[in-house]
Amino acid sequence: MAQVMMKDLNKKYDEVHAVKDVNLHIRDKEFMVLVGPSGCGKSTTLRMVAGLEEITSGEISIGDRVVNDLPPKDRDIAMVFQNYALYPHMTVYDNMAFGLKMRKFPKVEIQKRVQDAAEILGIQELLKRKPRQLSGGQRQRVAVGRAIVRHPQVFLFDEPLSNLDAKLRVQMRVELKRLHERLETTAIYVTHDQVEAMTLGDRVVVMKDGWIQQVGEPLELYGRPANKFVAGFIGSPSMNFVDVKVADANGALWAETQGIRVKVPPIHTSRLVPYKGQQVTMGVRPEDLHPASGSDPREYCFDAVVDVVEPLGSEILLDLRVGNNTIVARVEPTNRVKVHESTRLALTPDRAHFFDLKTELAI
Amino acid sequence: MRVATTARRRDIQVAYLLLAPTLLLLLTALAYPVGWEVWTSLTDLSPLKDGPTAFVGLENYRHFLADPEFWRAATVTVVYAAVTSVAKLSLGVGFALLLARPFRGRALVFLAIFLPWAYPASVSVIGWYWTLNPPIPTAYSVFMGNVKYAVDGVLGGGAWAFLSVTLFNIWRGSSFIGVFLLAGINAVPPELFECAVLESKSAWRRFWLVTVPLLKPFLALAVFLSLTTAFADLANVWMLTAGRIVYPVVGTHAYWLAIRGGQFGPASALSLALVPFLLAVLLILFRMFDPPEKERA
Repeated sequence: MAQVMMKDLNKKYDEVHAVKDVNLHIRDKEFMVLVGPSGCGKSTTLRMVAGLEEITSGEISIGDRVVNDLPPKDRDIAMVFQNYALYPHMTVYDNMAFGLKMRKFPKVEIQKRVQDAAEILGIQELLKRKPRQLSGGQRQRVAVGRAIVRHPQVFLFDEPLSNLDAKLRVQMRVELKRLHERLETTAIYVTHDQVEAMTLGDRVVVMKDGWIQQVGEPLELYGRPANKFVAGFIGSPSMNFVDVKVADANGALWAETQGIRVKVPPIHTSRLVPYKGQQVTMGVRPEDLHPASGSDPREYCFDAVVDVVEPLGSEILLDLRVGNNTIVARVEPTNRVKVHESTRLALTPDRAHFFDLKTELAI
Repeated sequence: MRVATTARRRDIQVAYLLLAPTLLLLLTALAYPVGWEVWTSLTDLSPLKDGPTAFVGLENYRHFLADPEFWRAATVTVVYAAVTSVAKLSLGVGFALLLARPFRGRALVFLAIFLPWAYPASVSVIGWYWTLNPPIPTAYSVFMGNVKYAVDGVLGGGAWAFLSVTLFNIWRGSSFIGVFLLAGINAVPPELFECAVLESKSAWRRFWLVTVPLLKPFLALAVFLSLTTAFADLANVWMLTAGRIVYPVVGTHAYWLAIRGGQFGPASALSLALVPFLLAVLLILFRMFDPPEKERA
């Protein structure tokens, strides 16, 4: 039973204002992911929750206790580090038992908890080994095990999968998700990988330059990004951005730029009226572009020249040129378009996004 | 199969060829002098003696083992090495832990701590000598003179000299060990210390359960260096006491015998006397900072 509350949280180093006015309510049992590019303040925020960084101003509470002045040990949290932070001079068992030993738990209890955790993680055979005899994935399991045995109120993960190779990362991601469902403990998870954020998080916090950009469920961030940064950060390949002019013709609004003239989809019309005659940024995800067919309304189609073809097996990514813009489209693997060829694309109207050119906020 | 064997033989030949310069260097600069010393310790070689050098077997060893002067020098050497090593290690660990975390003015403190080591020993040793035995008569020199007599009075003649040599060694060595251990701490990923902070409030417990084991190889190497320099110390003792060796260590004793007394045989035997003991200690330490592969596993 532990929610985590952050109120007006700030962290300032001498010259850097790393975390700015963060307000966040992480619910009990929730898996909350903090995601953003390096230097966005996500790790600093996590480390303030852990007590490894002092809080410059604001308040953090875990459960119903304000923990600002509590030493890390008394915050009832357990942390998993990116580089695993296993003690090289201890066996796997001793590493997992470390926290409990430091807290002077009785031996029998320690043994039981370590055995239980080892079983959950499938590392019973490794207990007598030293960390250097383990593979990256095994080390990561031990690091997670060391956190589990503590039965903490909150798990803190600081980029725990970043040191693993791509395949193992996917596998461990699934395991972490399963583990969270089983343990039902509040978790705060920091990553720079938006795929990890989307797949693991009940909710995701996108951060940039110390500010929270948006908090929401993964599909909410994907479908209704609050600003251009979130729109570009979530989703892979990134959303295409094209600066367009909002023009009024034939009783409808049109988004125009060199090589593109598409109708503003009805769901956006009313909000774009004030921008008539002005520039805005239009955003379309690569997966919301497809080769035009007869059934696509002409007002949502435009022509583009293929620059690069990237066949990925399950799909093909096309890098295309339209006027001065370069855009990416994700198309079916059966598509036979060739480099330098011109092709006609259609966009899915209600999936287009528009952003204010100056504030970059979603319109 | 045959081709493979030939190739392997050629590899081995190349390997020896590549090793040859190092081997040559080791043979001329290390094996030969040590061999010569061991041989000399079994003879009555002396530039003061006419006639051929005679093989005397273990006579030189037997002689000094029966000599109370040797036992005094050996005791002083061992005490000197042990006391300075313990003190240097404690201070060094303190310095390293102090410097490991950022604080205002850290660069200056670092400089202050490192200066004793960075400064040429020959100069600083004179500084110490004049500080402890002021050459110009002033109120200070009178004061230091009184301190010297008081110390010698309580601990016996020569105690002041021994104390000043020890202090100098600690002053200079702890500086080096501090910086050396700082490098060791910096080589440990900070998460390993942070992880301990998450589990325990007691800095003392964290120090013994985490910091010391993680730094073990560095600590062992520090003791290793400290012991070897203390055992071989001659220059500092000599300079700080201006050659009046009231408390001889094995080094000064051997130097006296060989250079002043011209008795190469006994001097060689003497300087080899503590080697087995030293080797045993070093071997234990060596295994600590570079454990064999099997133990690592």
